Amino acid sequence: MNALWLIFQVLVFPGFLFLAVCALVLQWLDRKLYARFQNRVGPPFIQPLADLIKLFSKETIVPKNAEQGLFRNLPYFSFAAVVTSFLSIPIYTANAVVSYPGDLVIIAYLLTIPTLVMALAGWSSCTAYSIIGGIRTLSQLFAYEVPFFLALLTPALLLGTWNIAEISQRLPAFLMANPFYFIPVILAFLVGVISLQGKLERKPFDIPDAETEIVAGPFTEYSGRLFGIFRLSLDMEFVVGASLLASVFLGGATSFFGIPAILSYLIKTLFIVFVLAYIKSAVARIRIDQMIRFGWRVLAPLSLLGMLLVVIFNKGGLL
Amino acid sequence: MLPQAVLSKIINWSRYTSPWIIHFNAGGCNGCDIETLAALTPRFDVERFGILLKGTPRHADVLVVTGPSNQQIKDRLRRIYDQMPHPKFVVAVGSCAISGGVFRGCYNTQGGMDEVLPVTAYVPGCPPRPDAIIQGIYVLLEKLKKGG
Repeated sequence: MNALWLIFQVLVFPGFLFLAVCALVLQWLDRKLYARFQNRVGPPFIQPLADLIKLFSKETIVPKNAEQGLFRNLPYFSFAAVVTSFLSIPIYTANAVVSYPGDLVIIAYLLTIPTLVMALAGWSSCTAYSIIGGIRTLSQLFAYEVPFFLALLTPALLLGTWNIAEISQRLPAFLMANPFYFIPVILAFLVGVISLQGKLERKPFDIPDAETEIVAGPFTEYSGRLFGIFRLSLDMEFVVGASLLASVFLGGATSFFGIPAILSYLIKTLFIVFVLAYIKSAVARIRIDQMIRFGWRVLAPLSLLGMLLVVIFNKGGLL
Repeated sequence: MLPQAVLSKIINWSRYTSPWIIHFNAGGCNGCDIETLAALTPRFDVERFGILLKGTPRHADVLVVTGPSNQQIKDRLRRIYDQMPHPKFVVAVGSCAISGGVFRGCYNTQGGMDEVLPVTAYVPGCPPRPDAIIQGIYVLLEKLKKGG
């Protein structure tokens, strides 16, 4: 019975199926919000599902030049990494399905795998555009990854734990008791949202798959089913990234149980999605050198400042 | 799992709900291309019909092609068409793409797009309005809906 329950949790709720539905709904919401910000109607609700079914039913072309094995298998790696990372986020109880001390670090690393897979996909396609896309993916990784990790580190350092469920339960109460720490946490939250935008390769950081410059970046040669899996896994990464920020900074499911917990989780995740869509519609793409400069000169020092405040005042015992 | 008839109905539905297009200029005067790009702007909002502009032929379902297709671009156009995964469709936009237009009879052009590619829908005009281009793609989708 216990094993069955675990399988249900992993495959249906809150595991794979729930994540897939969330990915499709949030993709629609993102596109719809983007459309409404541009004063147009936007796609119908069922659009992401239609896109996915169409991609799965299309012919899948594997180019002759491409590295056959890598090219065929890479999408599944990114898919598996994202689905695994979702299990550590608390959704309907205060605790996640798989919760252990240090799962914050594991999730942060699991969410890096889709990026690495994208770079490898670009390389294994062996076309000029996809290789440029792969290189850009990797160079961009160095600009946003450090600020993103540092931003996640701030609340973890503040509470002295690496467990997502524990952070999401304790952070709101801790902040209410010590309002001074709103400053570092809000700093870290801002940095986290902006670098998540870079992680998900959305505007203004959609440099790796810039349509107007390098066709479709790493995905230039992908078609049909393989591209469908890539697309689904990127949508899922969008969900996992948004819910990770919601759990770490906004309290996620906090200490509720059942329906209130799911509602609280969903509302906070939707808030993050709204902010991400707002950023996407407000800005245009920047160049890769501007992106790196922005990452290291603005984002990293800001997140370090937040951490410094925590270290001086909390660990130094001043407050 | 699902019976074949239901499955093919679902697949057909997904095809006419989410046509991704790629736009290619086969030696036209750029007039039709400006109108095609205008059709993709927020004012006309083709995303309502699920239409998205894609940069690579590997992701696209519909090739929106303008111009008379001259000798030099003929092979490139053919190659782009071959790079698209099945099922794929072609919409010829503008007078040149239909019959050669003002370039008809020129030493370096074909008589129209259908001498190079199998065209499904034609959009007349020199250049056609963005509304007409959207309607052309809509006609193609209607055909898909019926044809299965």
